[in-house]
Amino acid sequence: MVERGATCLDAQTTGMAWSVLAEVGRLLEMLASNGEPGCIDLRSLPLTDADREELESLLGRGEVRVELDLAGRSEVWETAYAGAWWIRHRGAGDRIAAELIAVCPAPEILMAHPADIQAAARRLRSNLQQPRPAAANELSETTRETPHV
Amino acid sequence: MSDKKRVSGSTTGPAHTLGEMLAERGVSRRSFLKFASYTASILALPPTAATAIAQGLASARRQSVIWLSFQECTGCTESITRAHTPSIEDLIFDFISLDYHHTLQNASGHAAEAARMAAMKENAGEYIVVVDGSVPLKDDGIYSTIAGISNLQMLEETVKDAFAVIAVGTCATFGGIPGANPNPTGAVGISDIVTGKPVINISGCPPIPEAMTGTIAYLLSFGAIPELDHLGRPKAFFGEAIHDRCYRRPFYERGMFAKSFDDEGARQGWCLFEVGCKGPVTYNACATLKWNGGTSFPIQSGHGCLGCSEPGFWDLGGFYKPLSTAKDDPLKWAAGAAVAGAAVGAASALAARKLRNKSLQAAAAAAPAAPRAAKKEDE
Repeated sequence: MVERGATCLDAQTTGMAWSVLAEVGRLLEMLASNGEPGCIDLRSLPLTDADREELESLLGRGEVRVELDLAGRSEVWETAYAGAWWIRHRGAGDRIAAELIAVCPAPEILMAHPADIQAAARRLRSNLQQPRPAAANELSETTRETPHV
Repeated sequence: MSDKKRVSGSTTGPAHTLGEMLAERGVSRRSFLKFASYTASILALPPTAATAIAQGLASARRQSVIWLSFQECTGCTESITRAHTPSIEDLIFDFISLDYHHTLQNASGHAAEAARMAAMKENAGEYIVVVDGSVPLKDDGIYSTIAGISNLQMLEETVKDAFAVIAVGTCATFGGIPGANPNPTGAVGISDIVTGKPVINISGCPPIPEAMTGTIAYLLSFGAIPELDHLGRPKAFFGEAIHDRCYRRPFYERGMFAKSFDDEGARQGWCLFEVGCKGPVTYNACATLKWNGGTSFPIQSGHGCLGCSEPGFWDLGGFYKPLSTAKDDPLKWAAGAAVAGAAVGAASALAARKLRNKSLQAAAAAAPAAPRAAKKEDE
């Protein structure tokens, strides 16, 4: 029976979750056989809220869960199927701006970019060249260099 | 000239890429990748395109943008600045240098015009002109002037050395409300005036903010114009009818229609076709991207689509008149096909679209307010 209200369809499953699950399976087979990664843009699919919840339940949760704080919150977790990652990017008002299932050893967004690594190395080198403030509870130089005999 | 060379650096200096500039402010490449995933999604590109978009953005220079506002209501600006909290959607404002915009700039009067001239000189051949509002042509364009010159003069002067022009809103794309019958000021859309430059039309009253920012992000990432439909609109946002992606479509397929706004069908969320919804003949992304941060869109709020992103929408029959019963309305042909679609299923969708394009051609030719005839079918 159709429920009352303009958004009643969001409460109904349409079978799309199982279609997406089959697509995840196909991408996992490819990753396992030749290492080729894949990705599914969930936002581009006509999923109802109920479909999305069903898909999340079908894929389950794995061992890894990461929360990122960059231009809004992002959540990444490995599903119960190793190599299949759910990526949820949030935008203004914490709403979901992009949602993907990435099939790969590890999502690219978790990797440090070479440019960021180079910048980090420069920043740390610069910080190490600054005079080091002495901590109140630091051992004195004499004490620290006392030879043990 | 290479694609990347044309991207200007008016406020950041020629040596700074967006990646370098934002890194200085603590914005990591992960943020670029997140923005790129979001952009790829709204542009309906394969998710794997995100890496290329992120790389393209990081290596681009900050883009000079001159925004001209003519016969308009500022609704398009309201739409693009809709987000209020620092977020992924706001990153686009770090990627562009908005060098001239009546509503948003601090400068006024002569200083504002000096800023426009300076941006045009510094970034000749590289800047993007965004226009909202139509341009009046009647009586030498005296019905709308800025800084002592007509909108037409300002437009011609500004686009002369531009890289590309983006017309935002139905007024700038097709004449919109100022161009509605009887069109007292002779208002026309930008592509009726600008020749010899790429003109991208992002129609809607107002346009969906993501359609505007996504198009700018595409220009920055790839240094190229996105694929456009026969009305010059990015196919990523205007490639499908509202009806094609409407969540009420299953009711349409089953022939379950609301007959009035307060009947049981309306309360049950049935299809609004018979209370005047123009979704079957309107191409836009409202049903997928939605409005107010993805909250809802008119049909989800219980009102039919007005068809605001189509040429001459103001004069194409009544908003509450069903497409299939409108008398002397060119859209009846498209509507007829749509009704047939309900009977025979999705196989008729292609035929409906062909008929819809023909009907829009007829509408543009028949309506005196519609300044711009649809060019030709894209089939």
